[in-house]
Amino acid sequence: MAKETFTESMTVAKDPQDSKVTKPKTSVLGFIADKGIFFFTGILVLTAVLFVDGFASLQNVTDVFHRAAPIGIVALGMTFVVITGNYLDLSVVAQAAAAGVILIAVSNAFNLIIAFAVAFVVAIIFGLVNGIAVGYFKANAVIVTLATTYIGLGLLRLLSGGSQVFGPADGPIATFGTSKLGPFPFSALVLIAVTLVLTFVLTRTNFGFMIRSFGVNNSATRLAGTNTGLIVIGAFMVTSMAAMFAGFVLAAFSNTAVSNMATGFDFQALAAIIVGGTSVFGGKGSVPRTLLGVVFVSILSNVLVLAQVSYGFQQVAIGSLIVLAVTVDALGRRVSKK
Amino acid sequence: MTTPVIEASNIVKSFGGVRAVDDVSVSVMPGEIHAVIGENGAGKSTLMRILAGVETPDSGVVRIGGTQIENNAKASIDAGISLVHQELSLIPEMTVAENIMLGSFPTNGGWTKTKEMKKIATDTLKEIGVEVDLDERISRLSVALRQFVEIARAVARKPKVLILDEPTATLTPAETDYLLSMLQRLASQGLAIIYISHRIPEVFKICNKVTILRDGKLVTNDSIDNLTPDKVIDQMVGRELKLDMTQRRPASELGELVLSAKGIKAPKVNGIDLEVSKGQIVGLGGLVGAGRTELLRAIIGADPRSAGRVTIMSNGKKRIITGYLSAIRAGVAYVPEERRTDGLALTMTVAENIFLPNRKEISPSGIMPRGKIATFAKELSEMVNLRPPEVTREAGQYSGGNQQKIVIAKWLGRKPSFIVLDEPTRGVDVGAKAEIHKLVKELADNGAAVLVISSDLPELLELSDLIHVVRDGEIAGTLSGAEATEKSVMSLAAGEKLVVA
Repeated sequence: MAKETFTESMTVAKDPQDSKVTKPKTSVLGFIADKGIFFFTGILVLTAVLFVDGFASLQNVTDVFHRAAPIGIVALGMTFVVITGNYLDLSVVAQAAAAGVILIAVSNAFNLIIAFAVAFVVAIIFGLVNGIAVGYFKANAVIVTLATTYIGLGLLRLLSGGSQVFGPADGPIATFGTSKLGPFPFSALVLIAVTLVLTFVLTRTNFGFMIRSFGVNNSATRLAGTNTGLIVIGAFMVTSMAAMFAGFVLAAFSNTAVSNMATGFDFQALAAIIVGGTSVFGGKGSVPRTLLGVVFVSILSNVLVLAQVSYGFQQVAIGSLIVLAVTVDALGRRVSKK
Repeated sequence: MTTPVIEASNIVKSFGGVRAVDDVSVSVMPGEIHAVIGENGAGKSTLMRILAGVETPDSGVVRIGGTQIENNAKASIDAGISLVHQELSLIPEMTVAENIMLGSFPTNGGWTKTKEMKKIATDTLKEIGVEVDLDERISRLSVALRQFVEIARAVARKPKVLILDEPTATLTPAETDYLLSMLQRLASQGLAIIYISHRIPEVFKICNKVTILRDGKLVTNDSIDNLTPDKVIDQMVGRELKLDMTQRRPASELGELVLSAKGIKAPKVNGIDLEVSKGQIVGLGGLVGAGRTELLRAIIGADPRSAGRVTIMSNGKKRIITGYLSAIRAGVAYVPEERRTDGLALTMTVAENIFLPNRKEISPSGIMPRGKIATFAKELSEMVNLRPPEVTREAGQYSGGNQQKIVIAKWLGRKPSFIVLDEPTRGVDVGAKAEIHKLVKELADNGAAVLVISSDLPELLELSDLIHVVRDGEIAGTLSGAEATEKSVMSLAAGEKLVVA
């Protein structure tokens, strides 16, 4: 006992710093990378309400969410892949289109239940192929998912003949696609529901915990006794499921589907994720952040449309926004490393 | 008397309060081969980086040919100092000729003068007596040839001083002999050579003078004729501590065998058998690069092994270890060498770090019980005396010693049967070091089998019941009781016994 007290006091004498912890230093860039999205969304909404005609109507706001839903759902799911540090899943373009075409074509030929089942199996296959290649064989995620996009779109074109498919005008899909709960269109509700479910999965389950832990330090996570291949497969699987729901929602909008219906989803989803403040280096980010990023990008597009800015300029604006967001992310990370 | 070609006076260099080089002076004459030796961490490499201008000393001057030079790498190279790095710095995808001329390409208005480049490369290789195809890519060469190309690259700059940092660490005996005679030939042409090595026989074979460093201080600077291998090792170690066996149990009281590893082969590991019993702490001594970490990682499956069989007794059942996950399931706890990159997720909280390996036990349903996790983490943090024991803080906010305690704490919840520690107190302050030692001994007393790597000799001696000294991927000797001293460990590690025998 006496010996222990000696060690204790010796420690304090030798190193008074020992029991102190270093507070992380905040830099301006680090602060913007971390909290900027809340601030900028606030400013954007305020500006839009004050200066843009037609923005602050219930009709317009629900419309913004309605339009944002398919890409938003994809972005929420893809957040998992980004947090693991594996960049992104480009194949959501093929996955969402496949789910949409299958939903309509298979329910036309058989029934809705079989259509859901087929779409589910296809989503699983996409998740497995992407996940195994990236998680177990350590292949580059960008190239693997670019390739699976090609394969997916090619197969879809072969099977559907490349033509648009239509559902019956009075079918369940058409009914669902136009239904509302109070003022809220169903698509917006799906978006909110997916946000709640995925937030819970990422923050409160063992699986979500391992996704975050792997993103922060994959080596330490492996050495703590986890099967890191399965973690990566899981992340791609979540993205696949989200892409499937996004495809359903998109097809139900207009009661039709075609193989190129989700073109651009990959990049726009990534834009929402990055603008929301989830780091492309992995380990840092959340599902609600992505929702906020989706809201920000959608409102920005909406404002540009309402202000009658040409589409070309809108593209320039979104592209610039991403360059800015990714640069702030990289700089913020460099500052915090010091 | 001629002026020394290089002369360093009263060099001091500190890193974060630790004096890595403490008032060291050294001078080398043309044609001299000057050995700089010392234990791991004695300050050799830091001193060499200062001489080469890569590192700036806190005080002291470096003179080359009698004139003081500016302290930067370019000035040093221009003044005629060439450093051959310990880690090979060649570019694998470029050719031999390109690598030799790297950084000093002969150019003409931006175009590389290929003919001239090849001529210089050919002449240099001839000068050091190595035959190799100039157009061969480095990646296709053997380790030894790469080392020779590295030397050619240094020699091509026509240096006055050539500094080699453990050039024979990866070479076979025959290749080593070739390298040594090459150096003797270069020295006979008037080149001054500074030769850093752990290997005492090599030093006695080619060196004229010896500088010995210990804990950053100069202890000996003498002609080789006044020294013997025995004296050199005494000077390197400096202390004569006996292993205190009274704290630990004698071999007769050992429990059942927990780890049994047979014929382990992996890169840098050439067929090693190893056993650890319940309650026993086995130490692995040896030099950096001897293959200790590779051995340990191959045993627990953290890296693949090419041959060998490993079994671990856990809860009365014998389990065969096929890979890392099966080792973890069999009750292995691994505290890795690099705690910041392999041990902890620094931006996650202490509680989250502790939860990671224990998730199945604490959270069998898959949904995390926050309260239970916090209580569990708090309990373990107090067990290892984490200060302050605030489990909601990020692990990266803690000091090195406390971080290491978190790494240990996260395994304790699993009640591991076999604990593996690699350099458990590197970069840890004195107080935390003592606490970690106490903790490791307690774990063994409570029945865990422990395997520990340490380059810190007093630590190795204090903790271990039995020490295996690893050299060149093999066990060079096993020491226990009174025969385990800093000197005996060092002799085996440095291979000095080979010459005496």
